[in-house]
Amino acid sequence: MKLIKDKVAKLSFVALLATVSAAMLYTPTASAHGEKSQAAFMRMRTIHWFDLNWSKEEVAVNDTMTISGKFFVFSGWPETVDKPEISFLNIGIPGPVFIRAGSWIGGQLVPRSVSLELGETYDFKVLLKARRPGDWHVHTMLNVKGGGPIIGPGKWVTITGSMGDFVNNITTLTGETINLETYNLENIYFWHAFWYALGLAWLFYWVRKPMFIPRSIAVEAGKADSLITATDKKVAMGFAAGTIAIVAISMGNTNEQFPVTTPLQAGLLRGIKSIEMPATSVNVKVEDATYRVPGRAMQMTLTITNNGDSAVRLGEFNTAGVRFLDSSVAQDETGYPDDLLAEEGLTVSDNSPLAPGQSRTVQVTASDAAWEVYRLADLIYDPDSRFAGLLFFYDEAGNRQLITIDAPLIPTFI
Amino acid sequence: MSASQSAVRSRAEAVKVSRTFDWLILFTLFFVVLGGYHIHYMLTGGDWDFWTDWKDRRLWVTVAPIVSITFPAAVQACLWWRYRLPFGAVVCVLGLLLGEWINRYLNFWGWTYFPVNFCFPSNLMPGAIVLDVVLMMTGSMTATAVIGGMAWGLLFYPGNWPIIAPLHVPVEYNGMMMTLADLQGYHYVRTGTPEYIRMVEKGTLRTFGKDVAPVSAFFSAFVSILIYFLWHFFGQWFAKTDFVKAA
Repeated sequence: MKLIKDKVAKLSFVALLATVSAAMLYTPTASAHGEKSQAAFMRMRTIHWFDLNWSKEEVAVNDTMTISGKFFVFSGWPETVDKPEISFLNIGIPGPVFIRAGSWIGGQLVPRSVSLELGETYDFKVLLKARRPGDWHVHTMLNVKGGGPIIGPGKWVTITGSMGDFVNNITTLTGETINLETYNLENIYFWHAFWYALGLAWLFYWVRKPMFIPRSIAVEAGKADSLITATDKKVAMGFAAGTIAIVAISMGNTNEQFPVTTPLQAGLLRGIKSIEMPATSVNVKVEDATYRVPGRAMQMTLTITNNGDSAVRLGEFNTAGVRFLDSSVAQDETGYPDDLLAEEGLTVSDNSPLAPGQSRTVQVTASDAAWEVYRLADLIYDPDSRFAGLLFFYDEAGNRQLITIDAPLIPTFI
Repeated sequence: MSASQSAVRSRAEAVKVSRTFDWLILFTLFFVVLGGYHIHYMLTGGDWDFWTDWKDRRLWVTVAPIVSITFPAAVQACLWWRYRLPFGAVVCVLGLLLGEWINRYLNFWGWTYFPVNFCFPSNLMPGAIVLDVVLMMTGSMTATAVIGGMAWGLLFYPGNWPIIAPLHVPVEYNGMMMTLADLQGYHYVRTGTPEYIRMVEKGTLRTFGKDVAPVSAFFSAFVSILIYFLWHFFGQWFAKTDFVKAA
């Protein structure tokens, strides 16, 4: 019996060691941002990102890259999410692996929160400066107050070089050029060390004398007053007066050294310019839409009417950043992330050019593993089972029209 | 050795045991306070203490002293009334700052690479020293709350100004003016902390023009007095030995 107990104990110890070692040695980088966990309706019915471009796939430390494109603030914004009246154009990266050197919406710098309008399309650009080497998933992202982060498509970008070489030089309005990466560090360390040392000195003054048991006995015996001596009081007054004097003098010196300081800047930026989208000549009515769970495919019955003067074809269905293309009409030439691109994922029952003035009812199927991989299929578990997305039509001259659709979705399980 | 016999056989041994006991208690107290106070302060002061672009002249000045006078008041109550030891506030702040620095350096910088000059903690030591001295000199909870609590609130901003002032130097950036602290918040991306979460420069103290920090500090000091009373009572209650007497 003892032998068995010993063996169990040994094995348990080995298992514990192995677990601890594994936990310590295997620490993979958390690279993704939970984009797949976000409710499908949040991604399908809030912000539609399109025409995205990541300017580089590999960038050296201190070099810059941009993410640019457009986003459409969906008109059928879900009631369960606060409207984007206070929003912030963010970037989905694992910590400051890049610094955000600039971000613009409609040409305006947006370091602060902005107010966006439903039904409007905005162009944006984010300028990133590489800081920490590694392979990083770089997402577009918009935070909405009361709605949370709405994460857009992400692409892997590699940063090469060494973080030790990173510099972030800034010239202040007082004419000084500083490296924001290390600026003020010595001052911070000095003052914290100084005050910590003063606190320790106060503590050591008391702990060098007997503390808990003798003092407790004295207090219990009614001799508490004898525990604080005249010297203690003098020392204490010295500490208090010294503290107040140091605070006052250091503040005065700081004001002399930095005569120009300003408060933190805050406030909502309003009046952000949206894009004037060209008038659409195609009208689309969603007759019905079903999601076939086993086939990972969404099927829509659309009645398309062409009110323009040029024949059109449906080239793309874009929802939650996943692009379903009919390759005979539209191809991606932007290097869009593979996992979000279904190059032949869009099937239209009759995608012959729809002549001006004509109307046609077609079956449109968007099928790809992305439905499952990106957990868009979870739409069927959302509080209101609706889907939404962008349809892109192309005329004979290659001009593009963007049509939004928004309709109930019925799941089929067989 | 029977139960009635002493564990020590000489005065020297008794002194040695007593000192060993002192260090054991102080060590335990330090780390218990470090853990408890740190969690409390991170939950209540949180971002105001984490980031330089939250350290403004209104809300940081107001919130940080109010939520941080808690543990010092409680630990003072225990150490003063039981032992006449006047270092309750300082030992709390020493613990808090050590915990914060470990957290900021190893986690914020070491794991997620936020520069230390962006995420260093606030300095609470000037107020802590004065709070302890006031308690020692007056021996009164009321006087400590009123004078010490007031000092705790009023010393906070000037005690931190030499550290944060360089980060309030203005800079022109792509056609907008901001402070270097604002620029840190903009540059060093916090995916989970959008700009609108920042509670800075909000309020209606516009009558005072640019001089709102002293007004905020006085308000903070006043509330610190009230919080001091509350937490001093908590400390006294927790320091009771009723359960020991029963044994």
